[in-house]
Amino acid sequence: MKHVIIGNGIAGISAAEMIRQMDADASMTLIGDESFPPYCRPMISMVLEGSVGYDRLPVRGADFYDRMRIQPILGNRVTALDVDNRTVSVQGEHNISYDKLLIATGADPRPIKANNLHLKNIFFMRTAEHVRAMLEAVPSARRALVLGGGLVGFKAAYGLLHRGIPVTMLIRSGYPLALQVDPRAGQMIQDELVARGLDVRVEVHVIGFDGNSRVRRAFLSDGTELDCDMVVIGKGVTPALSFVPKNIIQVDLGILVNRHLETSVPGIYAAGDVAELIDLARNTRWVNAIWPEAVAQGRVAGMNMVGRKVAYKGSLSRNVIRIFGLDVMTAGIVNAPHDGPYEVIARDDPLRKNYRKLVFLEDRLVGMTLVNHIQQGGMLIAMMQSGRPVNISREKILSASFNYRQLIR
Amino acid sequence: MRKVIVHPQRCVGCMQCMHACATAHSKSKELFAAALESPLPKARIHVGVGLFNEGFPNRCRHCEPAPCQLACLPGAISRDVETDTVLIDPDLCINCASCAMACPFGVIRYHQHCYAPPGKVVAVKCDNCFERQMQGLIPACVEVCKAHALTFEDPSRALKRRTDEVARSVSPGVLQTDLAAGFSVLNAHKRQQIEIALRRSQS
Ligand SMILES: Cc1cc2nc3c(=O)[nH]c(=O)nc-3n(C[C@H](O)[C@H](O)[C@H](O)COP(=O)(O)OP(=O)(O)OC[C@H]3O[C@@H](n4cnc5c(N)ncnc54)[C@H](O)[C@@H]3O)c2cc1C
Ligand code: SF4
Ligand code: SF4
Repeated sequence: MKHVIIGNGIAGISAAEMIRQMDADASMTLIGDESFPPYCRPMISMVLEGSVGYDRLPVRGADFYDRMRIQPILGNRVTALDVDNRTVSVQGEHNISYDKLLIATGADPRPIKANNLHLKNIFFMRTAEHVRAMLEAVPSARRALVLGGGLVGFKAAYGLLHRGIPVTMLIRSGYPLALQVDPRAGQMIQDELVARGLDVRVEVHVIGFDGNSRVRRAFLSDGTELDCDMVVIGKGVTPALSFVPKNIIQVDLGILVNRHLETSVPGIYAAGDVAELIDLARNTRWVNAIWPEAVAQGRVAGMNMVGRKVAYKGSLSRNVIRIFGLDVMTAGIVNAPHDGPYEVIARDDPLRKNYRKLVFLEDRLVGMTLVNHIQQGGMLIAMMQSGRPVNISREKILSASFNYRQLIR
Repeated sequence: MRKVIVHPQRCVGCMQCMHACATAHSKSKELFAAALESPLPKARIHVGVGLFNEGFPNRCRHCEPAPCQLACLPGAISRDVETDTVLIDPDLCINCASCAMACPFGVIRYHQHCYAPPGKVVAVKCDNCFERQMQGLIPACVEVCKAHALTFEDPSRALKRRTDEVARSVSPGVLQTDLAAGFSVLNAHKRQQIEIALRRSQS
């Protein structure tokens, strides 16, 4: 059986390991754009922040491909997929045939429209290479501009503030991380960041830049100008699927897959940031572009590729963020619509900076926001993933002293 | 291979295991000296209080596959095959709490400890008393638990005993085994409490 995996991110790597674990003889080819050894993408922001070194990024040894007996084709992108002939072509050069194919190409930063984007020191933050380039700009940076308040924009801002560089952040919603946290937690995060020198501007965007080879100034949509010598674009990501024939393989925002992580074409699978599958809390298809999902989906895709018909229940959005004095953990539905079918209970203790919110749909837990006391949050997430009816007092779950004993009879 | 097995119905909630655990994971390994150490040694087993105030010694199950290991960003969590133990490497841990999100039992805590680089906050959980086992000792929590709520034995043997217990409980005329051996007054009281509370919650 000839397996071909596109993408050497954690989804592709996890699938490859699972395939090797279950089939010692399988032939595996892995095509990846990045030639750096398999590394931890979320940690690149910690390298920017300076809390870990560049050398700590790899999550597998340099001998990974040898050990797994994988034929690696690195440093090039797949440019076309021929479903009829079961081949993929790399940079238009050679065609590689497959029996089973996994698309684990992750996501690419969403580009923006503005004048003079070619200027130096305007960055995306997605790869180890991006951060290496950013670090070169850091020593001379006096003011940074971050576009977008999503996870990446937030982490970029946090890392730069940590390095003592004042940051201005332009966001569309009222507070950073609007997709990840609810307004109350978002406000707490913003307060914490503002106290450390973050300047947040709401409802403005950039229309252009100016500078002499390097960026010096940004022009904003409200007519004002802003001096800056470093810019990070964090306007979200889009699944990297430009080579996928959309008339043959069903695509929505991501590549649609069933419970076996198989696309609409038998034998072709997708996992990780590029895949769209049922979301357990929302009960609809969703792209959950997070690390633990990429690991889990990669493993299940690998099992199915070697013929083990394992079903994946569904994905769940979740995040944990530690910033200065605040721990924030969220999962599932964080912003339940007021007119929806949801029941929301919350407890706020501003003095102790302790906040908990739970979202229920009938008898199931479908969302949570925890600020501080996050260490047992995994139990709540497990409750959401299992989908079992919650038959104990909801007030007890809301208490910070909630523990495993209370779950069992 | 012997493993720590929890028998929640026997737990009397005395928290001896927590003290023993903290001491076993201290520099001095002495209860009173440990209490003066910095960083202060902390227990990796957590006696939680249930809905009816019954105790439960909650500790890492060393799952296979371990959700925390799969979620750990830098790959700081690994499995020691010999003792079947899921271990956290304090040097690699970045204190990101991804494991807190992954552990369905809520058994990981975040603090400094004497095996971690000084001043570094890291994820901490049960290590099956790895160090003690290397010296031929059994895990400290098991050693100290007088109620036999924690035992260190071959899981298949424990399972067989449990099956026998169930068989005995359904065949009439056979004495039921004690909740916690040697604590009969407390047991009677506790069973009563549990039953009353259960009935209340059902009515
Ligand atoms: C700064 C930052 C911080 C983050 N923090 C967190 C966090 O705290 N928690 C969390 O859960 N998640 C976080 N994430 C998200 C997390 O990194 C991703 O969800 C995860 O890496 C997805 O893995 P993946 O394997 O699906 O995709 P990717 O990691 O994107 O890997 C895909 C790989 O495929 C390659 N590729 C793409 N197209 C092609 C092609 N056509 N041919 C060949 N190769 C191709 C790419 O170059 C890439 O190497 C963060 C992301 C960033 C950028
Ligand atoms: S910490 Fe939690 S998830 Fe990890 S092995 Fe222990 S019980 Fe399992
Ligand atoms: S806190 Fe440490 S052990 Fe836990 S997931 Fe993060 S790095 Fe891994």
